[in-house]
Amino acid sequence: MADYAPVDLSAGDQVEFELNGVRVSVPAGTLLVDAANAHGVEVPVFCYEPRLGPPVGACRMCLVEVEGMRGLQTACSTPVQPDMVVRTNSPVAKDAQDGVLELLLANHPLDCPVCDKGGECPLQDRTFRFGPGRSRFVEPKRHFPKPLDLSPRVALDRERCIACYRCVRFSQDVAEDGCLTMQERGALSEITTLTGEPYEGRFTGNIIDICPVGALTSIPYRFVSRPWDIDNTPSVCGGCAAGCNVELTVREGHIMRVTGRPDPNWEVEEGWICDRARWSYDADRAPSRLTAPVIREGERVQQPDLDAAVDAAALVLANTGRVGVLIGPDATVEEAFAATELAHTGLGGAPVQALTIDGAGLAPLRALPTAQLGDLDHAQTLLIVGGDPANQQPAVELRARKARRRGAHVITVGPRPHALESLGESHRSQPGALRAALEGLGDVGEGSLAICWDEADLAQEPDAAAVLARIGREREAISLEMGHGANAAGLRALGIPSTGLREQIAAGEIDCLLTVHADPTAAPGAAEWGWALGRVRHIVAVATHDDQVTERATVVLPAATHRETEGVMVAMNGRAQRLRAGATPPEGAAPGWELLIALGHRLGTPPPYRTAATAFAAASAAHAALGALTHDDLGTLGRPLPQTPVAGNGHVPDPVGFSGDGLPLVTVTRIFGERASHRSQALAEARTGADITLHPDEAARHGLPAGARVRLRTAHGECELPLVIDPDQPQGAALVATGVPDAGVERLLPADRTPVRVEITPA
Amino acid sequence: MPQLNLVYRQREAGDHLRDLSDYRRAGGYEALRTAVTTMEPDEVTYSLVRSGLRGRGGAGFPAGRKASFLPKDAALPSYVVCNADESEPGTFKDREIMEDNPFQLLEGIAIAGYAIGAKRGYIYIRGEYEHQALVLDDALRAARQAGFLGRDIFGTGFTFDITLYRGAGAYICGEETALLESLEGKRGQPRLKPPFPAVAGLYASPTLINNVETLSAIPPIVERGADWYAGIGGAEKSPGTKIFSVSGHVMRPGNYEIVLHQTTLRELVYDMAGGFRPGHDFKACWVGGSSVPVIGAESLDTPLDYESLNGVGTFLGSAGCIVMDDSGCIVRACLRLAHFYNHESCGKCSPCREGTSWLEKILQRMVDGDGRMEDLDLLEGLFGRISGRTLCALADGAVMPVRSAIALFRDDFVRVIENGSPRPEPMMEVAVHG
Amino acid sequence: MTADEIRAHIDPMRHEFAEERSLVLPALKFAQTEKGYLSTEDLRAVAEAVHLTPAYVESVASFYDRLYLEPVGRRVVSVCVTLSCMLRGSDEVMEHLCHREGLGHHGGTSEDGVITVQEAQCLGYCDAAPCIQVDADQTRGPFTVEQAGELLDELRDAPVPTRYVR
Repeated sequence: MADYAPVDLSAGDQVEFELNGVRVSVPAGTLLVDAANAHGVEVPVFCYEPRLGPPVGACRMCLVEVEGMRGLQTACSTPVQPDMVVRTNSPVAKDAQDGVLELLLANHPLDCPVCDKGGECPLQDRTFRFGPGRSRFVEPKRHFPKPLDLSPRVALDRERCIACYRCVRFSQDVAEDGCLTMQERGALSEITTLTGEPYEGRFTGNIIDICPVGALTSIPYRFVSRPWDIDNTPSVCGGCAAGCNVELTVREGHIMRVTGRPDPNWEVEEGWICDRARWSYDADRAPSRLTAPVIREGERVQQPDLDAAVDAAALVLANTGRVGVLIGPDATVEEAFAATELAHTGLGGAPVQALTIDGAGLAPLRALPTAQLGDLDHAQTLLIVGGDPANQQPAVELRARKARRRGAHVITVGPRPHALESLGESHRSQPGALRAALEGLGDVGEGSLAICWDEADLAQEPDAAAVLARIGREREAISLEMGHGANAAGLRALGIPSTGLREQIAAGEIDCLLTVHADPTAAPGAAEWGWALGRVRHIVAVATHDDQVTERATVVLPAATHRETEGVMVAMNGRAQRLRAGATPPEGAAPGWELLIALGHRLGTPPPYRTAATAFAAASAAHAALGALTHDDLGTLGRPLPQTPVAGNGHVPDPVGFSGDGLPLVTVTRIFGERASHRSQALAEARTGADITLHPDEAARHGLPAGARVRLRTAHGECELPLVIDPDQPQGAALVATGVPDAGVERLLPADRTPVRVEITPA
Repeated sequence: MPQLNLVYRQREAGDHLRDLSDYRRAGGYEALRTAVTTMEPDEVTYSLVRSGLRGRGGAGFPAGRKASFLPKDAALPSYVVCNADESEPGTFKDREIMEDNPFQLLEGIAIAGYAIGAKRGYIYIRGEYEHQALVLDDALRAARQAGFLGRDIFGTGFTFDITLYRGAGAYICGEETALLESLEGKRGQPRLKPPFPAVAGLYASPTLINNVETLSAIPPIVERGADWYAGIGGAEKSPGTKIFSVSGHVMRPGNYEIVLHQTTLRELVYDMAGGFRPGHDFKACWVGGSSVPVIGAESLDTPLDYESLNGVGTFLGSAGCIVMDDSGCIVRACLRLAHFYNHESCGKCSPCREGTSWLEKILQRMVDGDGRMEDLDLLEGLFGRISGRTLCALADGAVMPVRSAIALFRDDFVRVIENGSPRPEPMMEVAVHG
Repeated sequence: MTADEIRAHIDPMRHEFAEERSLVLPALKFAQTEKGYLSTEDLRAVAEAVHLTPAYVESVASFYDRLYLEPVGRRVVSVCVTLSCMLRGSDEVMEHLCHREGLGHHGGTSEDGVITVQEAQCLGYCDAAPCIQVDADQTRGPFTVEQAGELLDELRDAPVPTRYVR
């Protein structure tokens, strides 16, 4: 919770004023609450929250005395004026603080002993510091039936609510979903949704973080821990490529809760996190979690201890001919580095591939000046090209909405409908025709331009990438890559190629595969990869969860999840940030980098590092793209990696055509329709499955009714999906939901991610 | 005890002026003609400033000065908003203007619109006044048809129209920023100020917002001159006439347009409103609506004007004069008002939301016979923690009548705490309309 | 009521407001004329007509006393109980009507669903205290207890309104 906005005391244009008898200075225009906070004076607040927009002055907790002004002033709405004389601790101001608390507590149930917020509750803390020692309220308290499930994940206790309006403002003015409101009025005011409807959305859990009392609590966290039982660790979410900073709550080695950081990373997520980041942590304890190593010999399956399994893995790797190493985009920099080192040394120069998008055509875009998410706030025009950030990099959605509220003109261009299209000007491109849509834009808005572009879509249309890069150069735009894969940018910084290995396997050149957090059967090219995996004799898998690779692996080495390991992940825009081990992995598992280092030792090529920090330092020394940074350099907020601009030559390559017959296939991804959400119990009710969506006319042309199961076939593979008919979808395209575990949609797509057409027939 | 019907022109005319032709015969729309054909917009504003006219809705802020606060070079269009959300307990003066003299209001709004360069005005009328809204609907149609609203008024190029907007039952919408919120389609909750409506009001545009009676006083001022108006009455800061709505235990409840400063409270209550039933006499009076401190018999000879009423510790307010005779129970009266403010608190700011509800609970307990002596200190402590600390004036309005009642009639409170309060017989005598 | 019907009502006044949101109250009041209260479907229709979320529309509607989110009687009888009316017997009138209709102290809807009796805050007819407003008709008064009872009889016998202005 960010109660106060950060104040830069070294900024120019400072004004001096008197605060409780001391002359201090802050930048002109600073609000009194923030100014006082910056100088170590706490003016208590409840409704004020700098991230929620202009102050509303509702709770009256921040009343202070300002000399020369009649009555008391709300410090949350009063900008500092030169030579203002302010008293926050005078008898009158203290009486006001005490008085507001007495009134707020009059109807509050004071059920702190059984309240999840107890011990970390602003109302409790401020009552202690500023409030009444006793209550004079002897009347019967106001009662509401309690508690109420606002959604399957958020509980609402209306008796505890102090009507500060923070949650309502979040819904109306930050997430802009308009679903959470105050109803009735006066003493009967209550927070609610439309009667009978749950509060559903992508960011709903943030209202728990900003609630200054125990009115809004997390149902999965209900009665799980007390604040004095837990440790909070600042870390980074590995759910997508945005790199949102989070805080892990840990009790006895287990993750109990994930929240936004109380001290937000203003450059990244500002403390707002999506519901997937908040509630998918229990995937770490899903039934499919690997908790013990496995060795398979023919029909025999052994579960040895981890040391024995590492020995076995080393034996397999050393004795099965030619080895290839496949690294998934969720592997940390340390894991990927240790794996590539192992390939080069212990495995005798084994080929390495990352399971990431081959971005050869993206070089000119990546040469544009890189934006931090926070930079989007100041853009006058925001151009969003391709993708679906609301579902794929949710942090971008909130920043785009904020930019729009601050007056930015938002332009979207892309082949699929998405939530941000309604923010301004929307241009729906024909599948494969992004370039034409971009060229048709003419002048792209006015003033400073920020371009957010989707890595997958523009990799598929390199001609559009070149045109977009030209627009960016001409307009001196900043660029935010909307990337895919939590640490794909980190793997790129290590110089790991995105192609090659599969072809070598197919050519029979690889006998043994070492996978590191990599399941290619869940990625585009699943069919081809499935076939390829059948060609290798042995697989050694370093993985967190059971999947199609671990199921056929000779040796499975269970690894720590990103909530259980130290490490560095590089977000989509090149921001390197540290994971901190909050939880401890299961007894039979260890951090991936530890396993890989151990393998190096067993294979007779011990690497010169034995911790994550020294592994990272070695990686950093070996790869200039990592900017010679160390774990310590990254601190708690991380740092952007240095950009090495590649001069664009302005060449526009030929478009890549669609292959196959039928309708162009446009992939869509849904926020709760991917691996982590499907593994999480907390998100069970939010989960979405795979389907194909067609415009009604398109469905009619195919003679398909809504809800029908249809067979989809491309040159690469086939699968069956239920049909959804939606008039808001574009014609001339089949929108197919990807990323859903075990739905088989990835079988339709080629490993090189080039565009395909899909034939649709009744199943 | 002079009565002077400037706003209640219908009373001079002897009958309602719901027909435009009748209003014209009574001199109607000459002021608008004078304003738009002979005066610069700023001259009209200046004239209002010089007239000394004060806002008749309750706060008494100088109307001309309020109009002069509007920025001249704003990028957004300006609006006039007429506050017809007459909901202050005891106040029913605007009702009679809208019902019987609607065109004078429309004329006043048009003149105000001309003064500030607005093209559109709004009348926000309380939902319960549907009958009056229908009268205004007719009047607006007639005024448009006759060219007093619409394009090119009096051939001067002045274009102006008025939208009637019906509220839906919320006292707080009489607070000007809450009214604007409601008019913008939001919950009617007051805004944080500054900015004031003159700078950022309706749709964040410069907005002049005035009460029905204030706007209806403009035509006579324009017609007969600011100096003439400023000379009426003789109190320096309270020129002109003011309509008092008198209700409660008086024999002739009704509206009385009096010359300010020239009439005393005693004259209003006894001579105009007919005094009391035989065997009963004056006990207490909330002279400016229910949101002002109550006064007792010792204040009866106070001249009715802004300054003199301040002098006896109360306010002229909306001039909704609620009178209680010695049959009434002051504690029960306070409870009823506390219930009103609790019901009407919008709930946005904590001291009002929690304070008005607490206040009602304490008074209810007293009336139910469970009062404690320390409740009087508790109430005083509570008042200090509510008044002056809220977002708008509603909570002050809840505090003032009760706080003053305890100060003035402490013995009555003590008696109720000690002995409880049997419900008094209400006055069932049929009123003679004033 | 359907969104189309609501649109037909509010479209002619759209040009009078700089922001569409202003139409929410006119739309709600109009939607209420059909059944005398606003069902969730009505709220959804209003939301669609003025491009707001149903939750927002409900939030606005719940703020105002004269917008009803639960079914009410065919006729709504509002008895003003604020100070001026209280001094002249509104409590006695209210109690009589509630007793007569078999309702609790604060009113409610009669068993036959014809009459809703409710307390009202100052209706602005203090010169006619104690006063009563039926639906949004002109408020009348003063009423004796007996006259108020007769009013309910009249309302029971009156034809069912074709639309409800409240």
